[in-house]
Amino acid sequence: MSITDFDVCVIGSGAGGGPVALSLAEAGYSVVVLEKGPWFTEKDFYKDELACCRRSVYTPRLKDEQHVIEDRDDEGEWTGTPTSESEWDFWNGNCVGGSSNLMSGFFHRLKPVDFHLLSEFGPVKGANIVDWPISYDDMEPWYDMVEKVIGVSGKLRSNVNTEPRSSNDFPYPPTTEHAVSGWIDKACGKLGYNALRVPRAILSQPEGARRSCEYSGYCGSYGCSSGAKGSSRAALLDKAVTTGRCEIRPHSKAHKLVSDNKGRVTLVEYYDRQGQLKQVDAKIFVVACQAIETSRLLLTSTGPRFSNGLANNTGQVGRNLLFSAGGTGNGELVYAELPPDKAEVLRQVGPFVNRALDDWYVIDDDASGIGRAKGGIVEFLFSHPNPISLAGRTKRGRNGLVWGKPLKRKLEAWFTLDRVLRFEAFNDWLPVDDCFVSLDANIQDIWNDPVARVRIGYHEENLRIGRYLADRGVEVLEQLGASSIGSSNSSSPPTNLVAGGCRFGKDPATTVLDADCRAHDVENLFVTDGSFMPTGGSVPYTWTIYANSFRVADKIKSQLGG
Amino acid sequence: MKENNRLTEYGDCSAFLFDWHEQLVTRRRFLQSLAGGSVAAMFPSIASSEETSADIDENRQWQILDTVLKHLLPSEPNAPGAGEINALNYFQFIVADTSIDAGEREFITQGVVWLEDMSSNMEKTSFINLNEQQREKVLRKIEQSRAGENWLSTLLVYLFEALLADPAYGGNTDGAGWAWLQHIPGYPHPPANKLYPELLKL
Repeated sequence: MSITDFDVCVIGSGAGGGPVALSLAEAGYSVVVLEKGPWFTEKDFYKDELACCRRSVYTPRLKDEQHVIEDRDDEGEWTGTPTSESEWDFWNGNCVGGSSNLMSGFFHRLKPVDFHLLSEFGPVKGANIVDWPISYDDMEPWYDMVEKVIGVSGKLRSNVNTEPRSSNDFPYPPTTEHAVSGWIDKACGKLGYNALRVPRAILSQPEGARRSCEYSGYCGSYGCSSGAKGSSRAALLDKAVTTGRCEIRPHSKAHKLVSDNKGRVTLVEYYDRQGQLKQVDAKIFVVACQAIETSRLLLTSTGPRFSNGLANNTGQVGRNLLFSAGGTGNGELVYAELPPDKAEVLRQVGPFVNRALDDWYVIDDDASGIGRAKGGIVEFLFSHPNPISLAGRTKRGRNGLVWGKPLKRKLEAWFTLDRVLRFEAFNDWLPVDDCFVSLDANIQDIWNDPVARVRIGYHEENLRIGRYLADRGVEVLEQLGASSIGSSNSSSPPTNLVAGGCRFGKDPATTVLDADCRAHDVENLFVTDGSFMPTGGSVPYTWTIYANSFRVADKIKSQLGG
Repeated sequence: MKENNRLTEYGDCSAFLFDWHEQLVTRRRFLQSLAGGSVAAMFPSIASSEETSADIDENRQWQILDTVLKHLLPSEPNAPGAGEINALNYFQFIVADTSIDAGEREFITQGVVWLEDMSSNMEKTSFINLNEQQREKVLRKIEQSRAGENWLSTLLVYLFEALLADPAYGGNTDGAGWAWLQHIPGYPHPPANKLYPELLKL
């Protein structure tokens, strides 16, 4: 075998890339990680709403790099709109560690049923539902490993829906919880529902160089300044670098995976910060750029054996893209309606809510008309504390813009009279023909590479199940005594919860990857982000992406010689 | 509803920006279609006195903007206004911030010219010389055009930033905005060398 620069080249440094980098570096292999964005550290993360949420600090400027989103227009025709025009941003955390830097870290495993939806529930017309080529039991050891390596804090509260576990409990005690968590427990108890105590990928105790959570109350969408949040960067890549065998190259945008006549990847071409085209070669290449960009990179990487894009000879790359379906709701807990001591604890900022319901992970409810079907979870949380965003919603009134003293009174009311408790329902975004990634024929990024064109068709079942779950969330808010309760469902994809596009499976004709997440027809190419998922499950993806990436890292190790 | 496009796992704060983004698009399209930059473009029914636009020097422009901001967020004994939070200082930071699209920043200053044109047309004097009622009248008139509404809405958005962003950015003096609205800010606060324009250079 010829000498290569590195044993393994990982493209993308988020939840899909980090586990491979650490596992292989720890096993003695040399690893290079190419990351398009900059390398922020704890010293760059502050509780700064402008930096986190109102300027393009962690994501590219859309005029530089964008997507084209294909939605149905008024006549029902698919029409593409560049996101630089719509400002509908599909980027999530382009920096070392990826969007795991910005997650809220409420962590859920998939449940055994997620691995065999077709066998369990049968086909759904218009949806491409399949069983996974592996079972929950195959994934369980890796879920368990994530708890220890990423650092998951929690206290197991089992119910009939709790997934099988090899460890008795979580390695870290639960993060400090808000008083409202107890109120939710009580309300759910009265309704006969089992409030889950949700674990978090946030350290409740220090570990190595990472400090414990400092409970600032600004967590989701903010970078973590203590290192407690289990981002790929803080929990994995920092450790990988200390082995001396892992090099991280920020500002390195992959341009093309170059393959030879045998169909093997030989090197990756990438642009450095100065826009110079560089290359690096390795024995094994791992793509983990988050689902949309992973499909895009494969599609642009044509070669002598792959005229339609790498690993795409059966035209499957980019197909069956998944988001997360669901709904949201909220209610106001009004301070004046509570006894003073309860009002006081309600105001507390920092501790986590850590509560969800999984009673309807499988719905069995004939009265609702749904019968037996795959359901999902309902997660409770406080509204984000971002005050500028909140204030922004006060500026319009019935008669136009509000300003002057009326605006000030409105701001006082919105900020000081109540606290908004929210819920989010998560259910399967069914895989459909009309949800896929292709390359846009007209628009390029600043490096002149075609941008991803994303069609965002959805299945009506997404909405029906989401509505059912949202109604359950509303029941809990009502039981809690919340005011002004509202809920909504949307067919639009949540841009931060994305998977699929490179399904894994046994049949090369209908899938891109084999059960080990290696491309069927490219022996040294693996995909380790959420792209592999043929169905998405009904929980946020991060824990599963981490676990699967550790699982695949083990396969890569074997392929390299153990 | 686009508001639900981003679930909180990874943060929902951008969701509420959608409204703002929508305006941004309108604003850009409007700017692209804008020929002269006079009030006539906003209100074709009003004849523009073309010489007024050129008369406003930079100091005057800031003075007018300051007057507008103080009208939008007036001072009260127990509730800070644009003056107390140093909103003008924040707007000067924004208008000079090259990481914000030049068209957006130009829109802020261009609007001052339109306002002054409108004030001359309606009240025959500068906006600065008007009393509170006259100012309200002129601003409500401005609001009736799409671009004018957009401009005022943009001012409000940045005014909210001046009120509630970290004081290190030049507004929200001593956290007066946070204190007024009983908002508990998060720690750690950004030091001067870690504000977003600096992070963008990393």
